[in-house]
Amino acid sequence: MSSFSVREHVPSILVATLSSTFGVALLQGTDALATMIAADSTFGSSAAVAVALASVALVFIAIATYVGAVVTANTFSTIIAGRTRTIALLRLIGASARGQRAAVAREGLVVGVIGAAIGALLGTAATAGILGVASLAGVVPWLQYSFLEPVLAVPVVGVVLTTWIASWVGSRRVLTVSPMQAIGASHERSADSVAHRRGRNAAALVLVIIGVLLLGLGILAGLVSPAGVLIGVVGGMLSFTGVVLGAQVIMPRALRLVGRVLGGSASARLAAENAVRYPERSTRTTIGIVIGVTLITMFAVAGGTFQALFDRLLSGEEGAAEASATIDAVVAIFSVLIGFSALIAAVGLVNNLSLSVLQRTRELGLLRALGFTARQLRGMITAEGAQLTAAAVLVGLVLGFFYGWAGAQSLLALVTGSPSFVVPVVPPLLIVLLVMGAAVVTVVASIAPSRRATRVSPVTALAVE
Amino acid sequence: MEITTSDLGLVARVAQLSKSYGSGATEVTALRDVSIGIRKGEFTAIMGPSGSGKSTLMHIMAGLDTPTSGRVWIGNTDISGLGDTELTMIRRRRVGFVFQAFNLVPTLDIEGNILLPFELDGRRPSPQERAWIDELVDSLGLRDRLRHRPHELSGGQQQRVAIARALGSRPELVFADEPTGNLDSRTGREVLSLLASATRSAGQSIAMVTHDPVAASYADRILFLADGAVVEDRGRSSAAEISSFMLEMEQAV
Repeated sequence: MSSFSVREHVPSILVATLSSTFGVALLQGTDALATMIAADSTFGSSAAVAVALASVALVFIAIATYVGAVVTANTFSTIIAGRTRTIALLRLIGASARGQRAAVAREGLVVGVIGAAIGALLGTAATAGILGVASLAGVVPWLQYSFLEPVLAVPVVGVVLTTWIASWVGSRRVLTVSPMQAIGASHERSADSVAHRRGRNAAALVLVIIGVLLLGLGILAGLVSPAGVLIGVVGGMLSFTGVVLGAQVIMPRALRLVGRVLGGSASARLAAENAVRYPERSTRTTIGIVIGVTLITMFAVAGGTFQALFDRLLSGEEGAAEASATIDAVVAIFSVLIGFSALIAAVGLVNNLSLSVLQRTRELGLLRALGFTARQLRGMITAEGAQLTAAAVLVGLVLGFFYGWAGAQSLLALVTGSPSFVVPVVPPLLIVLLVMGAAVVTVVASIAPSRRATRVSPVTALAVE
Repeated sequence: MEITTSDLGLVARVAQLSKSYGSGATEVTALRDVSIGIRKGEFTAIMGPSGSGKSTLMHIMAGLDTPTSGRVWIGNTDISGLGDTELTMIRRRRVGFVFQAFNLVPTLDIEGNILLPFELDGRRPSPQERAWIDELVDSLGLRDRLRHRPHELSGGQQQRVAIARALGSRPELVFADEPTGNLDSRTGREVLSLLASATRSAGQSIAMVTHDPVAASYADRILFLADGAVVEDRGRSSAAEISSFMLEMEQAV
């Protein structure tokens, strides 16, 4: 029996499409760049350039695909939560839990294939379109660009596989559904079980500790040689992996902290509680944004610090302006590339808030019956969205600031001649853009759910099935 | 000058109330020309088989639904023409609710649920209200449960919390919708005794919708509904008397 509903899977297909489009277009774009460089006789080894460009592209594609997979796992687990009764009924009449879970994973595979295929077409169309227009305009040379490199299989197959795996991970809850939930008064599950996570948390802690130690070592080594930054990079990667792995511990705390800032009104307090109600769900909802904001902030802070230092050292000298423009351009390109992952994460947040409102109809009806005005309800949902976004952005800012400074410190401590402390610089534009982005995500994420929530009639919501 | 609801010794009333859903061939009439009053300080049961319109009547009297025609008063306020926000304020400040299930907000602890009507109003209970809530918490045996979440409580305990919340703000009228529908019979009787004693000792007016003759036997007055109309209005009766009247009603159809 197949319960595949396209409507239910639109957000997951969208996420897979975005990841695949991004991967395909980026690889085709870097390939075109390599073709242009090869055509330009001044460069020698063009094959090496092509490999280097593709490698950098693959890193960004991996980030986007990972974020997409986290979002999809979350979407699936939320969908499963909403299907509990149906699954229980099927279990009651004899379906096995494993069989049910495999069916969900098959849906994931279908979602992945559809998304990857659409993405491959859209990505190719985008690259061809941009190259065509740019060639006509004379910005890039008119060359024989290839759109069918074997490496393109990496993002396409990668998206299919990660979506499939994500649906498998997200469907774990199927195993916990008891046939009894189909009959009798089944109470809504109040919280995800957070047990059996000790091993994972311990691994996360070890990674963070080793990573931070290496970062410290990198900073110390940086006082002797700029090569210290290489130790720091390893430390940064390890510690950030630890943070992502242990997000389950970190994000609920951050959400509580932000929740307190929301204020003491009934809607704010309920919103604060709702955001941490399913810690696993909220963590997966926010971690994608944390990853994006951390990386963008890291590049921006490192770039800003770099620039401030060079401005001081090279003020008035020739080439200062060019160096500055190059740094700006690099930071901007990296930010846009990572911004794509953040966009995927934002899709996840919008989707999660809608689904959670849909699954809370009865509770919203109760609140309306007890005297919550439509306005208070809207305020509550917007506050929930704001809390999720703000917590993610704040954690990302703190982490990114730290990583950006650590990188700059280990690389640039010797720039002035003697070992010194590098003052971190936070570009104001970064803060402005992040706050604006967070506000946009919050508003967009809250519109549809709050409209739906205020349309809930208390009478229908409370009607006993 | 018009006679007000309170002049009649009533806490709520409806006059020539009709309610229908849908239109044309699919039109369903839930209530036809109902005129009744709920007396102040009484425990009133609204009885009837399913489909008799008793739930619709309660929803309209409580400002959860709007009438198709006729008028509805809570106290001396005519609520038949009010908009969503005004009705919300009526529900928040002047009536209390005990539903059959899903009465409590799962993310709030027991105390938070009891104080929710005050929270929604953006105020703290006055010292007198505080003392009353403390009294309720003790008499309902919830004192050592205040920090628990609803899912940690049994069904009967959850209904006690709902009762504490409904009585806490001393509303003009408490609506109870099949409050024992999800409970075993012993727990159900406890809940009914609690409601009856709220009327006897605190003068709380209560309107309870039920189809269970045993539940209705706890009430001071019983209104019988059938096919959207009131067919009988009688005083305190035993479960057996109520059952046999219900059977007669069935046979008369």
